[in-house]
Amino acid sequence: MIPAQFAYRRATSVADAVAALADPDAKVIAGGHSLVPMMKLRLARPGTLIDIGGLPLRGIADGAEIVVGSLTSHADLAQAAAFAAAGLQAVAECAAAVGDVQVRNAGTIGGSVAHGDPASDAPAGLIAADARIRVAGAAGEREIAVDAFFQGPFWTALGEQELVSAIVFPKPAAGSASAYESIEDPASGYPLVGAAALVTVAGGRVTAVRIGVTGVSGTPFRATNAEAATLAGAPVADAARLDITGQDVFGDTRFDEEYRRHIAAVVIGRAVERAIARAQGGSQ
Amino acid sequence: MSDQDTALHRVTLTVNGTSRTLDIEPRTLLVHALRNELSLTGTKIGCDTSQCGACTVLIDGRSFKSCTVLAVQADGTSVTTIEGVGSGRELAAVQEAFKQHHGLQCGYCTPGMVLATVELLNQNANPDEAAIRHGLAGNVCRCTGYSGIVDSVKAAAAAGVGK
Amino acid sequence: MTTRYVGAPVLRVEDPAFLRGRAAFIDDIAPPRCLHAAFLRSPHAHARIVRIDTAAAAALPGVHAVLTGEDFCDELPFTTTIATRPECKTGTRRLLPLDKARHVGDPIAVVVADSRYVAEDALDLIVVEWQLLPVVTDPEAALLAGAPLIHEELGSNDFAHITFTAGDPDGVFARAPRTFSKRFHFGRTHAAPLEGRGVVADWDATTGKATVWTSTQMPHLVRGMLAGQFGMPETSLRVICPAVGGGFGLKVQLFVEEAIVPLLSRRLGRPVKWIEDRSEALGASGHSKEVVMDIDLATDDEGRFLALRGRYVGDGGAYLAHPWTSLIDPLCAASFLPSFYDVQDLAYEVRTPFTNKCPSVAYRGVGWTPGQAAREILIDEAARALDIDPVELRLRNAVPDGIPYRSATGASYDGGSFQGAIRRALELVDYDGLRERQATLRAEGRYLGIGVSPFVEQGGWAARIAAVNGFPGFAYLDSASVSMEPDGTVTVAGGFQSNGQGHETTMAQVVADALQVPFESVRVLQGDTDTVPYATGSYGSRTAVVAGGALLRASGDVRAKLLRLGAHLLEASPDDVELVDGLIRVAGTPSRSVTIKQAAAAAYWGPRPDDLDPALSATRSYDPPETFSNACVVAVVEVDARTGQVAIERLLVVEDCGTIVNPLIVDGQVSGAIAQAVGAVLLEGLPYDEHGQFRAATLADFLFPKTTDLPSVEVDHLETPSPVTEGGFKGMGEGGLIGGPSALVNAIADALVPLGAGASVVRTPLRPCDILELIDAARAAV
Repeated sequence: MIPAQFAYRRATSVADAVAALADPDAKVIAGGHSLVPMMKLRLARPGTLIDIGGLPLRGIADGAEIVVGSLTSHADLAQAAAFAAAGLQAVAECAAAVGDVQVRNAGTIGGSVAHGDPASDAPAGLIAADARIRVAGAAGEREIAVDAFFQGPFWTALGEQELVSAIVFPKPAAGSASAYESIEDPASGYPLVGAAALVTVAGGRVTAVRIGVTGVSGTPFRATNAEAATLAGAPVADAARLDITGQDVFGDTRFDEEYRRHIAAVVIGRAVERAIARAQGGSQ
Repeated sequence: MSDQDTALHRVTLTVNGTSRTLDIEPRTLLVHALRNELSLTGTKIGCDTSQCGACTVLIDGRSFKSCTVLAVQADGTSVTTIEGVGSGRELAAVQEAFKQHHGLQCGYCTPGMVLATVELLNQNANPDEAAIRHGLAGNVCRCTGYSGIVDSVKAAAAAGVGK
Repeated sequence: MTTRYVGAPVLRVEDPAFLRGRAAFIDDIAPPRCLHAAFLRSPHAHARIVRIDTAAAAALPGVHAVLTGEDFCDELPFTTTIATRPECKTGTRRLLPLDKARHVGDPIAVVVADSRYVAEDALDLIVVEWQLLPVVTDPEAALLAGAPLIHEELGSNDFAHITFTAGDPDGVFARAPRTFSKRFHFGRTHAAPLEGRGVVADWDATTGKATVWTSTQMPHLVRGMLAGQFGMPETSLRVICPAVGGGFGLKVQLFVEEAIVPLLSRRLGRPVKWIEDRSEALGASGHSKEVVMDIDLATDDEGRFLALRGRYVGDGGAYLAHPWTSLIDPLCAASFLPSFYDVQDLAYEVRTPFTNKCPSVAYRGVGWTPGQAAREILIDEAARALDIDPVELRLRNAVPDGIPYRSATGASYDGGSFQGAIRRALELVDYDGLRERQATLRAEGRYLGIGVSPFVEQGGWAARIAAVNGFPGFAYLDSASVSMEPDGTVTVAGGFQSNGQGHETTMAQVVADALQVPFESVRVLQGDTDTVPYATGSYGSRTAVVAGGALLRASGDVRAKLLRLGAHLLEASPDDVELVDGLIRVAGTPSRSVTIKQAAAAAYWGPRPDDLDPALSATRSYDPPETFSNACVVAVVEVDARTGQVAIERLLVVEDCGTIVNPLIVDGQVSGAIAQAVGAVLLEGLPYDEHGQFRAATLADFLFPKTTDLPSVEVDHLETPSPVTEGGFKGMGEGGLIGGPSALVNAIADALVPLGAGASVVRTPLRPCDILELIDAARAAV
């Protein structure tokens, strides 16, 4: 199992990488854990690989917002204390849920987001956290709201000649906490469904909530019915079923569509439950 | 693609403490560079698609699946393979623990399993059984049912590997 | 004689090489000037080859040959049959097909190039024009009139139709107070050793001799089959088996690739290597254990078993596994229909049609696995219907412990601990306590399930056991040698072939005790037909029994000579000396002794008796009588009714394999086989769609059990030595995968009983989605 031949360029700067992307047959490689297996199966045959692995896009800056460089590995994200301190536990938990140790060491948050794989963990946390995706292009940098970023399977708002440079996480209000729950595919470690919930609790009531869901369908999505139920104190899992009804749910030989719909509602409910418990200072 | 880009690329790696320079096709997988170019055949290939972990090596001290890394991506890094664990004469404590606790049968997953254990214990010197199983979830063994491996890792931790 | 090593947890001598990455596996064999082969495989399940254009591939720089079926027309086809069973047809197979592809993954062409990289580039350039043919993937459909024929020349897809009757089962069923039936479809699974197949061949045209390195469990059988295939003397072919990264029965077949690669080397005059990749391994090596079974049980009102009937339809896939054929699953399943239950009225029917799927091959536990599953699941259902505890029902019908017993299918059990193993297992898991906890949890809406699966397994595949399994009429020559060197160290050599079982350790333990020498002074050679005596290999739980027995006999010969040499040195009668702890001494006068080393030196350099042939070497064989191990597996699971997920709480095995050589290794074998049982039941699947497309091409689709999928397996031992075999060894290694799946399936079914879905478990695998479907269907039916 060997990749087909390709040309290889090591990008010397973000601008250099962006310029190289002018070639429509070029593809960016970061960790490579999504791309290389596809290339080995010869299901992906990029003409040129632009390796951005050497660019200074690694690291987590904790200020008014948390800014994560796109080359930050899932492993580093999972261990960063800044997220729990800000009530964004779900972001670190999404990273910890990715694959296995070796995959978390190799895979990057930027690569994962840019790949737009609807089965990856990361989008749930990004959606719950209302993150922004900072991208670099020929005209410089811009930021894309997460709600507008994921558009379909392996399809994002990222332009042809753009690359992800960072993910920006605004810090939620005091009294906030979040949680990520998933049921994983035993082989890939990808979630059959993953749900991240971020809640703000004031005076014993949930005053704000965002729920991001990944793995179930072609596009990660916000579970707005479940959010409304959370605010109203109504049963979340029942409302979550409505959120899933509108989705084009995956099915495969191992886990069919009906199964995924069923467990999605269960998992969304569990994520909300755990986030509220955390915000109320209860159990983890 | 231009001829210049598809031509052989020069890659310099520090492998088990020794600097090695290779001129290779960019599509050369790190595992093949190690096995075929450097004759470090201790690293095995099990699944080709990064599920099994037989090809695990350490890159700058962290575990990676070398069947899913291009050798050019590893340029400038320090790579540890199974040949770099222990001395030529004696087994390292982690290897001795696997021997003492029947942590291997056919031996094919073993090099990757040992290196994954090194990473696991570097990150957490005293893992409980759940942490051991979670930490080795990227390495498949078809022979042991993992009982012997879990016992081996416990023993390696008790012997101070990772401290 | 004192026993120091047999029975002790001796650490493995082979481990340091593996732990250092120094052991050479097949892909580590790299002769100078070696070329690399890659196979083009069919993307279609059943398609006529209209045209193959290899010109572009052949023109690629670095490519040395691109060959298709036409290029192998002069070679003999693979011819596979079981000549001693008149019910079987004879199957032939060209090395590469001329006419059509019969399954996805069927090899169609082969490229030889400077590197595997270039070879795979060349595969991309081969153009094949296909004409699609109708496909059949269901074994029962393959038997219907009008089904697409996989091998037209055979006239039907029915490879074998075997029936057997003992007593008057139909009469008993007609009169029986209670009858129960179960249809169970055991799913396809895969031995899937972590190291796939691989062959390196170096054919020297100047000498006419060839060396073939192959990852196999049977070097001598490979040599014999290949020599016949190539029309060369066995002495001209050397088969070397390097370290084998797991076999589990998969590598007890000869594969066409093993015949093709040497021919490539002969043609090109250079060594050629082929290493299977994982997609080839999953789709084109061999699948196992898929059998559709209908089992009937007749009982009286107290649950006494009166008669059994079984119908077994195996899914043979596109070609016959060479040499065992596709009967290895359904016929072995049928042969053990009665297990150790005392039933003398019995009938079975076995069929094994060809289908457009990967050939079916041996895998640890072969057909005993599905057969055990169908029978034991039916017994649990009968127990529920009779309102008798399922374990109690088994105990009522089990053959008593420790006595010889002849089963209705003709197996002569040499006395086991059938009931004892069950009772010990119940005690260790606190069965009554578990049932109480189950009731408590059920009241809370939690679903705990307990599955108990006791079994008897054949120990040591050899002539008589093979006949019991339905493969009669062949003898097996399994020999091994013991040689004492001048310094008293010992060389053991044999045609057994470790693929993880640690034979270098266990065989040394056996010989060290037999010769009363230190374990460290015994070395074990295997895996090279030029240097070790003939044997048929390591498979079917046979090495401890067959090779161990041959080595005990050979050691006995050497020992007798040592005693004569020692007596000569001591000027005593050979009848008056004994061999103890490295010394030959006069019985009753321990101060008069010589060391074994002195006796060995005397053999080579004297002084020695004039009438003694001093060669301190013996080669002996052993074709054992029937012997049977037994065990009991208990699985405790909890089913999450909201998600269908199964959490395994405990897996416990009480094992009785007679005399234990090395408990460490026995425990490892049990634990590993149990993990494979978890895989077969909960994770692994090899699905084909209606077009015969294969849906599990990578390990992202075929799920190996991981560290997080099971708890540590608890293993306990009973030791009932065989009264009939050398050393009392009974053989083991496969049992966890014979008894494990039914324990798990029964545990899941038991958990689902309060949800109304207990009896609806009719197949494996049981993935979360399958379990949820059963729960939903049961709810809908209320």
